[in-house]
Amino acid sequence: MYQPWTVKHKPKSLKEVVGNKEAIQKLVEWVKSWNWGPPPKRAAFIYGPPGVGKTVTVEALANDFNMELIEKNASDYRTEENVKRFAGLASQYGSLFGKKRIILFDELDGLTGTADKGGVKAITEIVKVAQCPIVLIANNAYDPRFSFLRNYCLLIEFKKPAVNEVLSHLKAICLKEGIQAEESALSFIARRSEGDIRSAVIDLQALSQGKKKLTYDDVAWLGYRDRQENIFTVLKMIMYGKTCDGAKRAASMADVDADMLFEWIYENVPNHFTDPHDLARAMDALSLADVYRGRIRRSQDWSFTRYVVDLMTAGVAMARAGSKPSGWTPFHFPARVQMLSRSKEERSLQLEIGHKIKRKCHISAIRASKEIIPYLKIIFKNNPKMAAGIAKWLDLTPEMIEYLAENKERAEEIKALIGG
Amino acid sequence: MSFEMWAEKYRPKTLDDMVNQKEIVERLKSFVKAKNVPHCIFAGPPGTGKTTAALCLARDLYGENYRDYIMELNASDERGIDVVRETVKTFARVKAIGEIPFKIMILDEADNMTADAQQALRRTMERYTETCRFILCANYSGKIIEPIQSRCAPFRFTHLPRDEHDKYLQYIAKREGLTLLGDALDAIFEVCGGDLRRAINTLQAAASLGKPIDSKIVYSIAGRANPADVQKMIETAMKGNFIEARKQLREMIQKYGVAGSDIIRQIHTEIFRLEIPEPWKIKLAEIVGEIDYRLVEGADEEIQLSALLARLVEAAYEMKNAKRV
Repeated sequence: MYQPWTVKHKPKSLKEVVGNKEAIQKLVEWVKSWNWGPPPKRAAFIYGPPGVGKTVTVEALANDFNMELIEKNASDYRTEENVKRFAGLASQYGSLFGKKRIILFDELDGLTGTADKGGVKAITEIVKVAQCPIVLIANNAYDPRFSFLRNYCLLIEFKKPAVNEVLSHLKAICLKEGIQAEESALSFIARRSEGDIRSAVIDLQALSQGKKKLTYDDVAWLGYRDRQENIFTVLKMIMYGKTCDGAKRAASMADVDADMLFEWIYENVPNHFTDPHDLARAMDALSLADVYRGRIRRSQDWSFTRYVVDLMTAGVAMARAGSKPSGWTPFHFPARVQMLSRSKEERSLQLEIGHKIKRKCHISAIRASKEIIPYLKIIFKNNPKMAAGIAKWLDLTPEMIEYLAENKERAEEIKALIGG
Repeated sequence: MSFEMWAEKYRPKTLDDMVNQKEIVERLKSFVKAKNVPHCIFAGPPGTGKTTAALCLARDLYGENYRDYIMELNASDERGIDVVRETVKTFARVKAIGEIPFKIMILDEADNMTADAQQALRRTMERYTETCRFILCANYSGKIIEPIQSRCAPFRFTHLPRDEHDKYLQYIAKREGLTLLGDALDAIFEVCGGDLRRAINTLQAAASLGKPIDSKIVYSIAGRANPADVQKMIETAMKGNFIEARKQLREMIQKYGVAGSDIIRQIHTEIFRLEIPEPWKIKLAEIVGEIDYRLVEGADEEIQLSALLARLVEAAYEMKNAKRV
């Protein structure tokens, strides 16, 4: 029978919960304090990113303390009335069967404006007079909707566990499932999850189901593929979007951040907007989006982000008038991003060489790196003897020689000539 | 063949060695004779001998140990106000020992100094005139603030005349044992435009191939050595190939670190040289201006300039259609 490993290997006890030891300790002490009557803060508000073990912790806590857990989450409607029905349960610490009880309101972010009208208010009322521990869970406790509720809560932050902690959890699961996994494969999954244990476990199951062995190749390839598929769908929705809303919605589906999505769009626009007018319009939309990014940087006012997103998605989509989709055109990974990391190192090396030139040639290091280096490259490529002479004269390091020669063998030849 | 940078090896050592800028050299010689030098501005395009003239003047004035009496600062590398406040001031206020009572501060690429630094410099120049004279080298004297200009004797350097240029390169070729074929010098002059440093570098890079040098070699070297080939990029865009033009732009910015502001300035110049209907030139200039403004607002250089390229592609397309009608 198929059972998700997130359920099957869920921690039963707090000891098994991955990471967040301090936060858990804080929670435990708070629950223990209930033994002497209601503490000043009658609710604990646990917050943190998805998949770091917030809900699991509360379940394990109830288990360890042998408490009855009563849970409400976003799948229930949480209108004022709905919530009020809990008021009775919360008015007693002990239940009918003698167990102490704990009430959990999970996924508070999911409270929507209209459907769950008054929900937060009703929860606040319950918390104020609660006679048993109440735990609230949300991704962001600092949402303005919770500002009043927060006053009555002990805030407990859950952080993303370290890669190592996720890794050892995955190892434990593999051991139980009898899977021989390469360390590099598991650490790839752990790293990719970025601290989201739930997604790491889901990935592990998806990749190793029905296998006894898990290699790095299995993992790296699949992981790459599903990320790519996601971005391709998003790009298609943006570049061929018929409505502004559709294009904007696509952006929220992307599992890359806004800056990276921008790069993807910028890279691929010219291949998909073949009509020169369309291309100019699409590029102008990106240019304006970028202007807003500049304004955000300077003003530090992140609310402008909405215009960046509008322009880079809807702005691009609406640029299409004459261009027809010409068969299937593939999407490419942003070449600029690939180049950027490489060229950063290169530029700093260029400047170092520039400083060497400056000492000898009465020219600024900046100008030397732009104006002299191209000639040096030609010389180093063609004439090892002359190159060796210049390298010695300028006192270049082996790394610099390799850079200028653009070829390992040639660089060795030059270095040998200097030595001899 | 010798194995150092020829541009340095063949840099004139004394004012007498200098082949060009005759009038300037004569005036500088009179300073040496009088053993007195005013503050100077040497203005002119790159590779015309500004730094060389300053160094020659110093050597003629102080003799072989001239290095003890001068300081060279490069404003492109050290252009902030702190440099003026500390390095420059410390150097300027200490008296020179010897026959000549002042030292010389050579500020190279001074037009790259910030306005603040120039303001600070103005005071320093005034206060320490007794102990230090300044020579400011700049491509454009207009970028030097008025108060400094008014304190300096101006010298305007111009490109080498063609025959001087040829004579100099032929001299180097002879000393290095190179063979220059027919139109090689024409080609060097064409691609370097009288910038002697570039001309000598081109000559040396061409010589590194170990073959007789002809115009073909020169052009191929120039093509590889000038990453900021804005003209070529514009041509590519006007032919309708946006992706290739963007690639060239990316190379310039990322690989060679050319500043966006430099690229857009060159694009602006090139626009008016294009063979397109006159009204289009001003239309394109306005687009360039808009993009320039966005750059000033702090946007990403490549994104903005490639948006500009897309507009060029569009403009070329419209011009082509208009012709057909």
